[in-house]
Parts: sequence; C-alpha cells; structure tokens
Amino acid sequence: MRLSKPAVASLVVAGLVLGASLAVVAADAFQERHMAMEMVGDAMKPLAAIAKKEAPFDPAVVKANATTIADHIKKASALFPAGSGGGESRAKPEVWTDAAGFDKAMKDAQAAAVALQAVSDEAAYRPALGALGATCKGCHDKYRIPKQ
Amino acid sequence: MSRRGTLAALATLAVAGAAAFWLVTRPSPLPAAAVPTHQVDPRNGETLYHAGSCLACHRPPEGAGDRSLPSGGTPFPTPVGVFYPQNLTPDAETGLGRWSEIDFVNAMRLGLSPDGRHYFPAFPYASYRSMAMADLLDLRAYLMSLPAVRSPSREADVPLVSLARRGVGLWKRVAFRQPLFSPEPGRTPSWTRGAYLANAPGHCGECHTPKDWLMVADPSRPMAGGPHPGGEGKVPSLRGLLARKKYKDVDDLVLALQNGETLGYEHLSSGGMAAIQENLARLPESDVRAIAEYVLSLE
Repeated sequence: MRLSKPAVASLVVAGLVLGASLAVVAADAFQERHMAMEMVGDAMKPLAAIAKKEAPFDPAVVKANATTIADHIKKASALFPAGSGGGESRAKPEVWTDAAGFDKAMKDAQAAAVALQAVSDEAAYRPALGALGATCKGCHDKYRIPKQ
Repeated sequence: MSRRGTLAALATLAVAGAAAFWLVTRPSPLPAAAVPTHQVDPRNGETLYHAGSCLACHRPPEGAGDRSLPSGGTPFPTPVGVFYPQNLTPDAETGLGRWSEIDFVNAMRLGLSPDGRHYFPAFPYASYRSMAMADLLDLRAYLMSLPAVRSPSREADVPLVSLARRGVGLWKRVAFRQPLFSPEPGRTPSWTRGAYLANAPGHCGECHTPKDWLMVADPSRPMAGGPHPGGEGKVPSLRGLLARKKYKDVDDLVLALQNGETLGYEHLSSGGMAAIQENLARLPESDVRAIAEYVLSLE
C-alpha cells in the first residue's frame, strides 16, 4: 500500500499525540496515587498516636481515619497504569510484572482498613492496627524502591 | 632486545605477577588453639543472632521451606553479582553440622571457609570481626541448637568467580586495616552496648556507612548514608535523626524498631529494612533501647 504524504503526516501526528497523552495519563496517575498515599500516611498518624498512648482511644477517630485509609487505598489501586513507573515514582517494576501479587497486596490493605473501621473496643484496637500496618509494610517492602 | 628476548621478559613478568598475587591473597586462618575455654550460652547466642538479623539474608526463598530457619539460598543481588547465602542450620552435609568452633571463628572473623577459601564480603565479616570471641562461640552454640535442614550451597553468580574469590584476599588487606570496634571512654554501659550491637553483630554500617572506591567503609563518615548497595535508591543517614526531627526521642525510636510500619513508621519498610526491623524486634527491650540511644547520639 502506498500512502500519500498528508496521510503519513497525519499518522505521525496522531502517533505523537497518542504517545504524549499516554505520558500525561501516566504522569497524572503517578501524581494522583502519590497524593492518595500521602492521605493514607496522614490518616495513620492519629491512629499510631492512640496505639502509642499519646492520644485517648476514641472509636469515632478510629472510624474516620480507617475510612479515609480504606477509600484512598482503593483509589490508589486503580492508579497504576502500565508505564507509570520510573522517574519520581518509587514503584518497582514488580508492580506490573507481578500484577496479581500487587493487586492482592492492595486488596489485603483495603480489607484490613475496613476491618479497623468497626473496632469499638480498645483491647482489639492494637492488633487491628498492627494487621493494617503489616499489609502496608508487606507491600512497601516488596513493591517500593528506596527513596532517591 | 630481540623479539624472543621481549617475549621471555613478558612471560617472566607475568609469572612473577601471578606468584605475587598468589602470595598476597593467601588465606591465613587462625589455629584451633585460638579458641579459648568458654562455657557457651546459647541464649546469648540467640540475642546476637537477632541483633545480626542473620535470618534476613539466610532464610530460604519464598515457598522453599520453613522461613523461620536460616537454611539459606535466597538470592542476594548486588551490582557485582548474585550471592546465595549459606545454610546456617546444623545439617552435616550442607550446613554447619561439621564445622568446629575454629571453623566458625575463621568464617566470622576472617571471612574464611573451613576449606580455606575467601568468602565474598557480601557476608559482612568486616563488621563481625569486631565481635567478642565469647559472643561468636555463643552464636555458634545457638545455631547448632536449631533443627537441621538440608539445603546445599550454591556458588555465587560472579564473573570469573574463582579468580574473584581469590582476589578478595587483596580486598581484605585494605578492609582489615580499619580499626576494630572499641568502646568510647566516658559513655554509659547502655550506649556502649548499643554501639557494639549496631557496629559489630548488627553490621548497620554495611549499608548505612558510605563506601570508598574499593568498597571499604569510609571511617570518616560512619552511618552517614549513601547509595543503596542493591543499586537502586539511597540508604538514609542515621546521623542527626533528632535534629532533623525524624524521631522525637529514644522512646520513639525504640517503638519504631520494635514495631516498624505496624505502628506507621513507614521509613522502616524500604530497601530491605523491614526484615532487619523484624529481627531487631526480637531483641530484649534493653538491647533495642541501647541501639536507639547509640543511634540517636550520632550527630
């Protein structure tokens, strides 16, 4: 097949536009998931303060922060499109090469945060927070590179 | 000089060079008489085992056996090549079962195998050589008390591995010039304990102290952080943690080392530190506190 010059030119332009949009989508995904993870980190602080006895146990505080965490982990889970690693991102290639394992780790974290929402008794609090922290830790250890 | 003369001179030089290499890289293990009479204390050995996070590197790969035992074999990738940590359980064929006390001391102090070959320094004997003799013997006694697991050793994936292994003898000549750990006068017993645990068995400096071009720890910048030995990212500095507001006080760092990210200390699950933290969490609280006191005193 012979293509006319204008056809070739439009194909090239279309390719460039597509490539650029994919790059923008990937960059946006990184920014958005990074923000979501920062929200998770911020919500962990009052929860850790309770476990460290720096703040009193308050089921309302627990519920609110555990809900923030569950929602933002869910949000972040959907923000790892292929090609959004590298650069500023600390995501290891394993996020995509072991997508099933990564997906399970994110689902486990979300489930642990949901379980924490319902904790109303102080004795059950520490183990439930520990279980959530362990899911964060397991995933970070496996799928996150050290800070640059 | 004739062409034949030149060739002969070059050949002589090459032979002389090889002989010199052979001589300066020659292992010189300690004799059995170097082991003092000592009543072993396996419980102290267990403390040192956790302080050294032996399990972090020596556990089997996922799905290849009981990961609570140091039967080895999990690949340890470095920019130089991939190493496969040795089986530390007392299996006679593949583990430490037939190792005498002096074999163990030579491995830990001098980085030498029982058959007299150099270990690559991915096994951090440059730190372990500062361990007290009594502690080494107690650590061996603890390892010998573990269930034996069969798990054969695997040679490192390193280019020209036999030559490289012999060449480690040269590296040792430089690395072993560094002073051994010694207590600082005027410090509390707890600080001294923490400094010993962190520097000798704990080998924190293997990652947290920057290395010079010969891969020897730079003694002028202890625990100042640097490139990650795995080749990606950085290892944080442990200096000025209080001034930089990374931790509030000793209690805060004790909680961090005991709980890691289960209490939200997310920096402790990055770059392999999660496994180290899990091992440190098994230490008696007084030892965790001693390490925290020492680390927070680094300015």
